Amino acid sequence: MKSDTLNLAAVYTKIIIKSWFQYKVDAVLRSLAVFLREATGILVIYFTLLKFDSLNGWDMYELFFLFSLLFVTYGILIIFFTGLRDFGNTVRTGNFDRYILRPRGLLFQIIFSDADWFAAIGQGGLGIVLFVISAGKVEVVWNITTILYYTFAILGGVLIQGAIFLILATLNIYLIETMSIKELFYFNGKKFAGYPISIFHKAVQFCMVYIVPFAFVNYFPAQYLLQKEDMAYPRVYLYLTPVVGIGMYVMAYVFWRYSIKYYKSSGN
Amino acid sequence: MKDFIKVNNSSQITGGSDCIIKVRNVSKIFKISRRAAGIPGMLANMIAPKYEKKQAVKDISFDIEQGEMVGFIGPNGAGKSTMIKMLSGILCPDSGEIQVARYIPYRQRKEYVQNIGVVFGQKSQLQWDLPVIDSFELLKAIYRIPESDYKKNLNRFIEMLNMSEFLNRPVRQLSLGQRMRADIVAALLHSPKIVFFDEPTIGVDIVGKETIRNFICELNTQDNVSMIFTTHDMQDIEKTCKRLIIIDKGSKVYDGSLLGIREKYGTTRQLDVEFNKDIEVAPIEHVQIQQLDETDGRKKRFIFENQEVQIDELMNHLLSNYGIRDINVSEPEIEALIRKIYNGEVL
Amino acid sequence: MLTPYLAFARKSFLGRSAYRFNHFMGILNTIVQIFIFWEIYQALYHGRGEIDGVTMSMVTTNFVLSICLGAVFTVDDFYLPYRIGNGSIATELLLPVSFKGRMLADNLGNAVFQLVFHFIPALFVAAVVVGIDTPYSFPMFVLFIFSALLGYGVLWSISFAVQMSSFWLINVWSIVTIKNVFVNVLSGSMIPLWFMPDWMDSIMRFLPFSSIYFTPVQIYLGELSYREIGEKCMIQIIWIFLIYLLGNFLWERGKKKLVVQGG
Repeated sequence: MKSDTLNLAAVYTKIIIKSWFQYKVDAVLRSLAVFLREATGILVIYFTLLKFDSLNGWDMYELFFLFSLLFVTYGILIIFFTGLRDFGNTVRTGNFDRYILRPRGLLFQIIFSDADWFAAIGQGGLGIVLFVISAGKVEVVWNITTILYYTFAILGGVLIQGAIFLILATLNIYLIETMSIKELFYFNGKKFAGYPISIFHKAVQFCMVYIVPFAFVNYFPAQYLLQKEDMAYPRVYLYLTPVVGIGMYVMAYVFWRYSIKYYKSSGN
Repeated sequence: MKDFIKVNNSSQITGGSDCIIKVRNVSKIFKISRRAAGIPGMLANMIAPKYEKKQAVKDISFDIEQGEMVGFIGPNGAGKSTMIKMLSGILCPDSGEIQVARYIPYRQRKEYVQNIGVVFGQKSQLQWDLPVIDSFELLKAIYRIPESDYKKNLNRFIEMLNMSEFLNRPVRQLSLGQRMRADIVAALLHSPKIVFFDEPTIGVDIVGKETIRNFICELNTQDNVSMIFTTHDMQDIEKTCKRLIIIDKGSKVYDGSLLGIREKYGTTRQLDVEFNKDIEVAPIEHVQIQQLDETDGRKKRFIFENQEVQIDELMNHLLSNYGIRDINVSEPEIEALIRKIYNGEVL
Repeated sequence: MLTPYLAFARKSFLGRSAYRFNHFMGILNTIVQIFIFWEIYQALYHGRGEIDGVTMSMVTTNFVLSICLGAVFTVDDFYLPYRIGNGSIATELLLPVSFKGRMLADNLGNAVFQLVFHFIPALFVAAVVVGIDTPYSFPMFVLFIFSALLGYGVLWSISFAVQMSSFWLINVWSIVTIKNVFVNVLSGSMIPLWFMPDWMDSIMRFLPFSSIYFTPVQIYLGELSYREIGEKCMIQIIWIFLIYLLGNFLWERGKKKLVVQGG
């Protein structure tokens, strides 16, 4: 990136942080609320696993580790992709036209002009808490290889979900209301994506591996690190997270470019 | 991949050398998709879209010179904002050619938009929760405005628009007039050659409107910036623009000076008469008679076309038949004329 | 006297039928949620007949009933905050109907719609896909319905009291969200409360949340004697009363504040 682009990203970030943290008490409360809302699922696991010891061979800490991958990636993702999450609104209110009128890349503007810091702190924070709790308790030997693997898995996981966000955002160019589609394809899936997919029906597993590939965000990377016995997929999947991430993102980007042309010819 | 843009890039549009905007035979048809609700409807729409066509702009051509101020007017849905969107590069035309400042707006977006400023009266581009100055700083970074130019422009505009008192106030606390002034400055910081104003005074009080109009005129004379307006407020046009383009149902129906409208279409005259007492006036051929005051039958208005009725004959007729206290001839207001143009009464 | 409230309830009932697609997605959502929970517990039970005397079918029945009831128990947490936010509360207070009554009527109209068009189809599909226990006996079924109504009352008064914070706070989203965390975790809709550790049991005894879904479900399954049912329903009524009183106290204070500040 050129220094001038970095400078713009910095100015955007300054502005975003200034507006999100205008009301300090409210900002703390909101971050806490997001944290607790997402922690609901974790509390459920905690209480259940106090009683049941393990879920298909995964103990409590392993499950926390599995969930932490999901929350950490989402925490990073939302810093960059809030603009895509809220893109429907941007199109509806006509703000997208304003992006077109400015001499900068469209996706660049969308990505850098907003960041939901409450979600980032709430969910990313939860992810870090879960990681800290579980990383020492699970049987992972932390060395250069595993740390590198973990880093790439996180980056790949961010890209996979970023690609899903981009595809869902692009649909707003064609449709007026996409909330229920977003719920169906992303947010509902995310609620259960933290569980080991092996416990689900084959159809659900198929969705999570091949349609909305949450499995590559947390299940396969966790499998590489934890080596559980319920792994029923080719071993190569354990290494594919960054590849899937890049591949999906490229596809999503092509769809986006095509749709921008459509937008310019059809109006809204 | 299907290419939606069919317009040829290479051909240079001919026209006056000092024309900054050249528009040739531009048409735009919107396809309004008609689809069933829900996901099945959406899938059906993505595979085999069903459309209803609406011609928003029909074969429009015009040239605008550097430094000209042009008002675009027309009823709602006439195609004004579609035209502005095509000129500013948000939309591409289906056919015809547009060239602005030697760019093809919808093709060379990033280079082109550096040369234009756009003010949407109904939509602010300022950061709602933050002081005005923060939005300006952001625009400085977006448009890569050199520090010295930024300072110079900002100080000048602040003084011209009297903005120093609210520069550090959050946008959400500003009055509409203040916000509009800030939005205008936001569109001008990068010294654009052309500025588009879409309803720049909507909702602003009279004093605020006056400030904005004066500023726009001043900027035009000092910097020779070309300006295009769309507005519903005829006062905006009368005070700022010498030239008027009227669009109706997608077509250009008038292009010329404000005075020209009166000469060309202002054939209607009206005669306001105050009689000595409340009376009934017998019908007169080709003349429409209105009561000016519902409770007072003495004040009446006579409306007629000056080709059909000789004004001295009408006055003689009235003076000789009725007792008259006062009489007054007037031309119709420009607004009334334009309404007639929309209604197709004078074409 | 009830006529205007019935009209409000009817209006909110009819208003719902306009969003067919979203509604359909909502039902699908409920069913998927039940199915996923069922699968999670299948894996947890791992073929075991019972855990601490709780069978898989009891767990399933608990989920199906609480999640389906949850679809009916839709209280608009932003009813008052929304009206305070846009200032319309001032004019609504001048209407010759009680604002609280109208709020309840609107919510109930919605709930009845959800009962007919969400609860029943979702319950039917869930019963076919994952199966649920039949009610323990007919009297227990009747008492289940009675207790479920009280459960709605508890949830409604909690929401009512929480909404009152909007008189003092600009943004109540955080508080409402945190309230929902408590409801979700402690009402039995996400974890069957049989599996709560003992120390949680003693905490929950002093909180209203288990009255919302778990009490009706226990009655449905025939887990409680008539004496216990009497006690539990009494507890439900006491909670409704106490929380409503608290909410109403805040409501009166808030109204005064509104008048003093002129909205």
